[in-house]
Amino acid sequence: MSTASTSTNPPLVCWNCHERTVGTHFCPSCGKLLQSPQAVDYFALFEMPRKLWIEMSGLEQRFLQLSWKLHPDNFVNASEQERELSLKRSSELNDAYRTLRDPVARVEYLLGIEGTRKEGEHKQQAPPELLEEVFELNESLDELREAKASGGDLAALKSRLESAEKHFQEKLGEVDAQLQSAAKEWDAALEGDAATRKKTMARLNDLLNRRSYIRNLVTNVQKELL
Amino acid sequence: MARIVGIDLGTTNSLVAYTDAQTGQPKCIPGPYGSTLCPSIVSLDPDGCVIVGEPARRRLLTQPERTIYSVKRLMGRGPADIQDELKLFPFRIDPSSKNVIRVRLGEKVFTPPEISAFILRELKNWAEAYFGETVDRVVITVPAYFNDAQRQATKDAGRIVGLEVLRLVNEPTAAALAYGLHEKQRGRVAVYDLGGGTFDISVLKLISTSDGDIYQVLSTNGDTHLGGDDIDNLLQSFIHELVLQHDEIDFSPHGELAQELRKALITVKHQLSESETATLRFSLPNGTVFVHEFTRGALEALIHPVVDRTVGPVKQALADARLKPADIEEVVLVGGATRTPLVRRTVQEFFGRKPHTELNPDEVVALGAAVQANILDRGVKRVLLLDVTPLSLGIETYGGAVAKIIPRNSTIPASAQELYTTGVDNQTGIDIHVLQGERELAKDCRSLARFNLRVPPAPAGLPRIEVKFLIDANGILQVAAKDLRTGDQHSIEVQPSYGINDSEIERMLEESIEYAEQDFAERQVIEARTEAESILTATAKALASPQAAGLSAEERAGIDASVAALKESVAGKDYKLIRKRIDELNRATEHLAELLMNSAVSTALEGRKLAEV
Repeated sequence: MSTASTSTNPPLVCWNCHERTVGTHFCPSCGKLLQSPQAVDYFALFEMPRKLWIEMSGLEQRFLQLSWKLHPDNFVNASEQERELSLKRSSELNDAYRTLRDPVARVEYLLGIEGTRKEGEHKQQAPPELLEEVFELNESLDELREAKASGGDLAALKSRLESAEKHFQEKLGEVDAQLQSAAKEWDAALEGDAATRKKTMARLNDLLNRRSYIRNLVTNVQKELL
Repeated sequence: MARIVGIDLGTTNSLVAYTDAQTGQPKCIPGPYGSTLCPSIVSLDPDGCVIVGEPARRRLLTQPERTIYSVKRLMGRGPADIQDELKLFPFRIDPSSKNVIRVRLGEKVFTPPEISAFILRELKNWAEAYFGETVDRVVITVPAYFNDAQRQATKDAGRIVGLEVLRLVNEPTAAALAYGLHEKQRGRVAVYDLGGGTFDISVLKLISTSDGDIYQVLSTNGDTHLGGDDIDNLLQSFIHELVLQHDEIDFSPHGELAQELRKALITVKHQLSESETATLRFSLPNGTVFVHEFTRGALEALIHPVVDRTVGPVKQALADARLKPADIEEVVLVGGATRTPLVRRTVQEFFGRKPHTELNPDEVVALGAAVQANILDRGVKRVLLLDVTPLSLGIETYGGAVAKIIPRNSTIPASAQELYTTGVDNQTGIDIHVLQGERELAKDCRSLARFNLRVPPAPAGLPRIEVKFLIDANGILQVAAKDLRTGDQHSIEVQPSYGINDSEIERMLEESIEYAEQDFAERQVIEARTEAESILTATAKALASPQAAGLSAEERAGIDASVAALKESVAGKDYKLIRKRIDELNRATEHLAELLMNSAVSTALEGRKLAEV
């Protein structure tokens, strides 16, 4: 998919009337619920382009409209095949909405379907410019654990960790801002050349890895501070 | 055409409701005793008859070893889970319990779904008597915070009585539906549901669209072992302590003494919701009467810890919905325990607004179930419920950690795929362990199922098996596997960690027919016998007490004769005769009742019946 046009599914053959169809959810010929395509594309499901900026109220409205149509409640008296299909299709709809409404999960998903998502080879490895701070943080965490075990004074250690948590929260905010601007670059490059798109994707991928690393740090600190 | 109904299968009471075709309004169906509440109590008669509801409640006192209440606490749980409950509840767990708990009633053992099935059958009978038509399909409500095993056990209960369970609906969602229909509410709503044994909090968004109204659950939280029962337990152990100090009488949770005290305390608790003071009067086996004055303040000080336990889940549900208390536009109270003034105050203070209590908190869940039943049955497409899964679904990874694959509060149906391959050449299987819960280690989460994924022999890393985990609209897990190289679908037989398998359900379905339903006359006989037993027990106890010395020889002989006559009638099946003899014994023991009352309190209450003293 190299243009900004709506992401679409390949044509299917309707399981009921055997017509070839380009419908997304229902067969235009017989009106039956269609099978989902081999590989579900969440953007195609919402009939949206593969853009990272999504207007949330529009997405929600589309989600609610499709829920009316696909939900198993509508198929209680239908054939077993249709009931199964509705269960599958409405779960895909819910999975898609859950993924696309979350800005980070959305980037991760996009890279996944574009085939360019690569998790950090050394997940536990700190980004070089954070190395020193992470080292200090781990030291403080160790001290706190020791103090907890030996019943030492926790107050000073805790306040040090609290300020470290705040610091990394800010870093997380920075990464989110960077992700947002990279996402804009992606949307702009959607119509552009392949090399720019590739570069943007690599950057998004790095940012995701960086974010997940910092996110883990924050979670670990929060756990110790509880 | 067979009917469809909604059933609230509660810890303390169960109800059945339907939607009136003319008015479109839901309505609860009364049982043979006039009330719409069927106490969730089951008793097994020595002749093999199963007694459910009000008559079973009386047998809690006369035949506690054949009678069970609050069985919902056992649904979907294993023997190891319930050790704490056993200290407080008179559950007689059979030693044969392995994965599934088996409860002893007299000489028989039953699983919790079988006992729940008896309650469902009773309500089905109520509805069929009311309609004059059969009922074959049902919507059953469950606590929103029920896990997969608890939901599956509830669905199994329906199957055991041959009811098609069209949908399990979360109780707070059902309540929101009933309220929404009633009040035409819109916006963000919090439902606080404190029932007999479970607590739920759900945050919903009510949306009007051109297609109709959508009830979208944003988040839910709760505690499936927190409710009015816990308040009763607190009160009970408080009184036990007092009695123990004064009179050196020990109560075990088993036995009639504890049951009598529990009954008296529940009355006191209800009185304190209406008035500032209430008196507990309770006869002890040594012939004295224990009296304790309660004030509402003292009660509240006692039950505060229970009410406080609801606050954590409420905060978590709001945080998960990314809302603050002030963002909530309406608060709805559900469940009998929300009649407690302390609960109402706590909720009002937390949200800073007066909660809705217009609909009967006992009935509102059943009414909502009836609305959903009608939607599913008739395809009324004016309302859609979008509910969520209360707990994260995960799979065990290396080192006993859990990888979350479907986060809590995901709209259901929801699914996740995982790709599996092999680590060594010609490996024939991959072990998969599915869990539910928020903790990071498998041992701290709820084990849902373990299964072995069979793999055709191949070099390591070559097989590619996609396993799909799907939570359906009932909140129940389904698993399917697909071999991506061949495209073959594998159906996976998932044996739940705590549950009964299909063949057992088939057997139970057949067996349940053996446990005869009583017809009306039989019910009357059992009722009368139960009442006779309780007055005979009370008489024997009173005659053994020191106060009985105040009776004249003539009175004494009169009582003995009435007792003998009543005992004789109980052996037969003429319930009118039993009733007549009960009245006779009541008259013969009037003076004895007065003697007992006089020794207890200075004011004599004339004309009291012995069983009431």
